[in-house]
Amino acid sequence: MNTNVETFKYDNRIVRAFAIATIVWGIVGMSVGLLAAVQLFFPDANLNFQFITFGRIRPLHTNAVIFAFVGNGMFTGIYYSLQRLCKARMFSDALSWLNFWGWQAIIVSAAITLPLGFTTSKEYAELEWPIDIAIAIIWVIFTVNLIGTILKRREKHMYVAIWFYIATALTVAVLHIVNSMEIPWSWMKSYSMYAGVQDALVQWWYGHNAVAFFLTTPYLGLMYYFLPKAADRPIFSYRLSIIHFWALIFIYIWAGPHHLLYTALPDWAQSLGMVFSLMLIAPSWGGMLNGLLTLRGAWDKVRQDPVLKFMVVAVTAYGMATLEGPTLAIKNVNALSHYTDWTIAHVHTGGLGWNGFLTFGMLYWLFPRLYQTKLWSTKMANYHFWIGLLGMMFYIIPIYVAGVTEGLMWKQFNKDGFLQYPNFLETIVQVVPMFRLRAIGGSLYILGYVLMIVNLYKTAKAGQFQKDVEAQAVPFNKKSEESGSHLWHRWLEARPLTFTALSVVAILVGGLVEIIPMYLVKENVPTISSVKPYTPLELLGRDIYIREGCLACHSQMIRPFRSETERYGEYSKAGEFVYDHPFLWGSERKGPDLAREGGKYPDAWHYNHLDDPRSTSPGSIMPRYSWLLTQKLDTTSLPARIKALRKVGVPYPAGFENGPAQKDLQAQADKVVANLKTGSINADSDREIVAVIAYLQRLGTDIKSAPATQTQTTNAK
Amino acid sequence: MVENVLQDIEGVGLYGVISICIFFAVFIAAITWMMSLKKADLNSMSQLPLQDGSIPANRPQSKITNHE
Repeated sequence: MNTNVETFKYDNRIVRAFAIATIVWGIVGMSVGLLAAVQLFFPDANLNFQFITFGRIRPLHTNAVIFAFVGNGMFTGIYYSLQRLCKARMFSDALSWLNFWGWQAIIVSAAITLPLGFTTSKEYAELEWPIDIAIAIIWVIFTVNLIGTILKRREKHMYVAIWFYIATALTVAVLHIVNSMEIPWSWMKSYSMYAGVQDALVQWWYGHNAVAFFLTTPYLGLMYYFLPKAADRPIFSYRLSIIHFWALIFIYIWAGPHHLLYTALPDWAQSLGMVFSLMLIAPSWGGMLNGLLTLRGAWDKVRQDPVLKFMVVAVTAYGMATLEGPTLAIKNVNALSHYTDWTIAHVHTGGLGWNGFLTFGMLYWLFPRLYQTKLWSTKMANYHFWIGLLGMMFYIIPIYVAGVTEGLMWKQFNKDGFLQYPNFLETIVQVVPMFRLRAIGGSLYILGYVLMIVNLYKTAKAGQFQKDVEAQAVPFNKKSEESGSHLWHRWLEARPLTFTALSVVAILVGGLVEIIPMYLVKENVPTISSVKPYTPLELLGRDIYIREGCLACHSQMIRPFRSETERYGEYSKAGEFVYDHPFLWGSERKGPDLAREGGKYPDAWHYNHLDDPRSTSPGSIMPRYSWLLTQKLDTTSLPARIKALRKVGVPYPAGFENGPAQKDLQAQADKVVANLKTGSINADSDREIVAVIAYLQRLGTDIKSAPATQTQTTNAK
Repeated sequence: MVENVLQDIEGVGLYGVISICIFFAVFIAAITWMMSLKKADLNSMSQLPLQDGSIPANRPQSKITNHE
């Protein structure tokens, strides 16, 4: 017997702190989601208050749920399981608390800045540059703490959950840094360094893998730890978990192009993305089955134990979402589903089912242990389960119906060959009842969540918190482990840094195959000579468009389908976006595409429409933007904006910002005001609405003045 | 939308071929690795979440099941 037993303590305080944070931010993020959902059938629910209008709170909802709720949930699980799997306290308590408070500070700053309109507009990466830097610093702190703990572990093996944690830490860092390259023009605003097609490729390489490595891999690690704990039996197949890990992290990165089907990406890359997406079904379902089969012979427990009930539904939702994801990546399916609510339903299967239910299961399991007591009410936890499940169904099913309805109506032609529903509004009015049902589903889900808060609070009150848990283990000798027939595995496990490096290689191989064309594409986008940089007034209007989050509902990307060209005009060309920092293609249509909006309506129509959309479009679900009519346009920062854009390659002439730009701006504003006057509207030229109208009237007009041969760079499908 | 804008890059098709080759090499290596592991070791590794070394006196009992 080895007498060299060491006694040490697991840190439960940090686990409790993250658990409380996830509970608090969860209710905030979901409530904001509900407010956004209500605005989709009752636009006045914003109380005509710009800070809580859909375009601004939609990113607040996604960021709060992803980074605050799931982020803190991930840290809760990692800080609990990592210590126990390594048989060691965290590497540094100071780093643990820096991680905690830094992360909460980032969340608070997001909650303040997003409603204020400080956004980069890039989905799930909306936070502006100072917060981006803070995220990078805090993430490095977390990674150092993670790797440090693994290095000082007393357990010779690195359990598979730890592999998933390592992959998460590294990949998120790479994704975040590459996608956040931006040039600041004020203390809280910046322009993306990439433009147009390139910006879109980088963003969706990030967006896809953020889902993979923030919402999936860390939670798979948690599944591999907490499901065996809750079921009191080891994982069904450890072999399968090894394959699950390597296949998943290796394949996932390659599948990114499926977000950009029918765009400027070359055909082979689109096909590669599609094929690898389909291949992802194998490891994903391997993982799901591994989780479910862990419960073989223990299904009687599932009937009684709410912890296992939540986990079973979570793993099942993971399986459903990972079957549906590849299905949506098939080009023909994507042609129908893209821009519709189908995508929203898909992500909520993952969000509410996989991340939500796994977090709930983990918290119900964790709190009695942290507080050394029994769960206050098993009955209440069961109520939470059923109400939550019902809520999820009420959320997802109507939104699937809405998504498919939208997709089919957009593509429907009548027997004469014209669009059956030429007015986009018709297609949205049709699905408004589904939006109402969705809000009911979301409310039920939140109701269940409130029951959990009460239950966990009562559990905590009834028990006594154990801040340090004493444990014993024998330290292992690395050198003695380097023998045997499975040398490679032992060798790798004994070298976490080598393991980490190999994981990076695995994710980078797929990443590079995508990134290299991404960097080459810039020189290969055919230029269209009539495409010019935005005028100063249009630029300011565009920045307001970004501030208001218009792209949450309006895409600017006409795909090469007849149903789209009939409705919106000529399909979008890569060369049209060369000065778009950032790109504003959007991913969803709650309103029509705006890529060819310029010149479709008079200025006065836009004025009235923005003031009260229902005055020009009865039944519209667009919020009022009446504050644009009164707020003064900020022209003082114009030189800084032009300089920043020049740095990233927009060819504004030298010295343009020192005088000529202001004159140009005034002349164009006066022109808009004169146009409005012909529509019996008296407006001041220094109001924000003038800039927004100028921008909207510019959209898609450049190529109209170009010779046809210049724009026909490739054939439409 | 324009597609095939990368077709002019010399040998761009090679990326696809290289991608598939790398993928299969990794896939075969992972399978080989997995099959080379000993059952006894796999069992001991899969037991890790259930043996966290904490001193039993501190372990709570669940109301429903004894998870640990």
